[in-house]
Amino acid sequence: MDEEFDIIVVGAGFGGPVAAKICAESGLKTLMLERSENIGDKVISGLTIPFYGFLFGPDFIRDGNPPFERPSDGIINYIIKDIEKGDIETDDSLRVPKPLSPIIAFGYNAYCKPFCEWEVKKAVESGVVLKKSTTAINVIKEDNCIKGVITDKGERIRSKIVIDAEGSKGLLAIKAGIRDRYSPDTISLADTYDYVMPKELIDKIFGFSVKMCWGWDEQKVAPPLGYGNGLMVWPYRNSLHFMQDQCLSMNGNKVPNLNKLFKEYHLNITEKLPWWKDLVEPHAKLRARMWDGFEIYVGLNNKLRNMPNHTDGMLLIGDAAGLESTELCDGVPAAWFSAEIAANVAIEAINANDTSNQFLQKYDRQIKAHPIIQWSISGRNRFDLRIAQREHDLKVLKKYIHNGWGMGALTHFMTPFFRTLLPYVDNDPFIMSKWIKMFFRYFQNWRYETYGHSGKIVTKRMSSKKLRKMERRFVRSLRLLDRLLGALKKRIKVISFILVPFSNSSSNLMTKILPIIEPLYKYGIKLLNPILNRLSKKILKFAEYANPKIFQN
Amino acid sequence: MGEFENVLGVEWVGKTGDFIKIDEEKCIGCMNCIKVCLGGCFEMMEKKARIKSLKKCMECASCWYVCHEGAIMFSWPLGGTGYRSNWG
Repeated sequence: MDEEFDIIVVGAGFGGPVAAKICAESGLKTLMLERSENIGDKVISGLTIPFYGFLFGPDFIRDGNPPFERPSDGIINYIIKDIEKGDIETDDSLRVPKPLSPIIAFGYNAYCKPFCEWEVKKAVESGVVLKKSTTAINVIKEDNCIKGVITDKGERIRSKIVIDAEGSKGLLAIKAGIRDRYSPDTISLADTYDYVMPKELIDKIFGFSVKMCWGWDEQKVAPPLGYGNGLMVWPYRNSLHFMQDQCLSMNGNKVPNLNKLFKEYHLNITEKLPWWKDLVEPHAKLRARMWDGFEIYVGLNNKLRNMPNHTDGMLLIGDAAGLESTELCDGVPAAWFSAEIAANVAIEAINANDTSNQFLQKYDRQIKAHPIIQWSISGRNRFDLRIAQREHDLKVLKKYIHNGWGMGALTHFMTPFFRTLLPYVDNDPFIMSKWIKMFFRYFQNWRYETYGHSGKIVTKRMSSKKLRKMERRFVRSLRLLDRLLGALKKRIKVISFILVPFSNSSSNLMTKILPIIEPLYKYGIKLLNPILNRLSKKILKFAEYANPKIFQN
Repeated sequence: MGEFENVLGVEWVGKTGDFIKIDEEKCIGCMNCIKVCLGGCFEMMEKKARIKSLKKCMECASCWYVCHEGAIMFSWPLGGTGYRSNWG
């Protein structure tokens, strides 16, 4: 007999469990299918999940204790001019300064497997039925409407809506006739190496930074991985990921010999790049090599960007809908945002008893109106720097690197950030203090390796009066912040009058003032370094020893 | 870095089924699939691509993306089979 559900979510990665959890919590009978035997078996790379994913993503992640490997305070860009001579410039302007770092993090480095397992566990606790080792091979289509899925075991499982979270290949969405195969020039093949290294060395060499390398003269420096691609290295607790990637096709239809290129590039970096060769290589042990493709440039292709993401009875989310961040090569925040939007639209559709394409258009409208999703899929710096690499124009290359992964990112991120932030604060004035507590709790979790599921936090309490005074001050400050924002909410009309135009023009404003404020900021940080360091130590000590309860929402 | 040649830290399990197939009629022998397959799953036989073994396939579908002739059919391996990684 056919099984029947309200919602079927295909894929238990980052987005799937979020959509499934929200649907189940609203009382819908929800099934989640996963093709692998264990959650996370099919993931080939961890990542840095940027802070905005946690701020604006699902409540249960913000208020929970997700497992991650290390907070990250920003990116150090290595612009490799001559690898043989060790002629390398750096741009590390986009790093959270002390004393905010590493508590207010740029992002959190995580292995996907435990993170997805944690999300799935939360979804199952909310009543989602999980079927593993089950591949959805086709959809059930009746009168041009999707009515469920067919599995590799021949089961026909019916549902009112299918939420497709299967990732960038989108085989089910193609079968359903929603979208096509992405073109090879939009797909980047990521070649990932997992190295084990003692924690003390990772702390010393990487600290809380993510390292990115960009070749200037790629024929000589990083031969010849191609244009617009580079290398990312991000540290975990006692391991690190080295990820090099290259588009499957460039310059028309020409397909590069990736087997050869990846091998040469990897050797070149590991044998010649000074910090890798001298500091990492002698202590790093290769544990795993994995690869997979991700849809890096889909958002830049107007046709693909506007491809349908829904049909009668079906919604696509995350990578399946092409929502990969071009510059950060990261699809997690957009997967979370789109999963929440899709789940809420699906709930509405089922309540209204209308799962038609027309009703589900609401989903597309909300995706297109989401400032951070649209910003993340349309960043051009990574794409444009290939031109600078091809022309060997160092000045232009540095400009793109600065705009993409340096402080210049503020010239295009400020407006989408504020446009997303303002409605959040408007809806819930207490969210600011929830965010602050989240950052502190995440840091304490990291420090003690506890993620809510390993029992008590073994906090060596400092019994000093000073600590208690700091705790009281922290709680009082947050209460004050809540009260202040609560009071401001009553005057929202007056405030919007100032804040909305400011938020809409903040990126433009930053473009104008950055050339002036960046050198001042750099100089100021340098000048205040001893004071900032002292302050940072004090805050870190507080974050480490404070009563965990005060960081809980 | 001799280890480069060996794929480490990943297991391949179960009977996957023929989840990648090549239509010999459509294959023009452009070798794109060979160039992008990091698992060495393809080989050339009489100017046509042929599947050598899917035992080191990471299901990345690069072969399917770069086959301009549409000669490669890609689907998922059967549930619970294929590659398995602990380090992603």
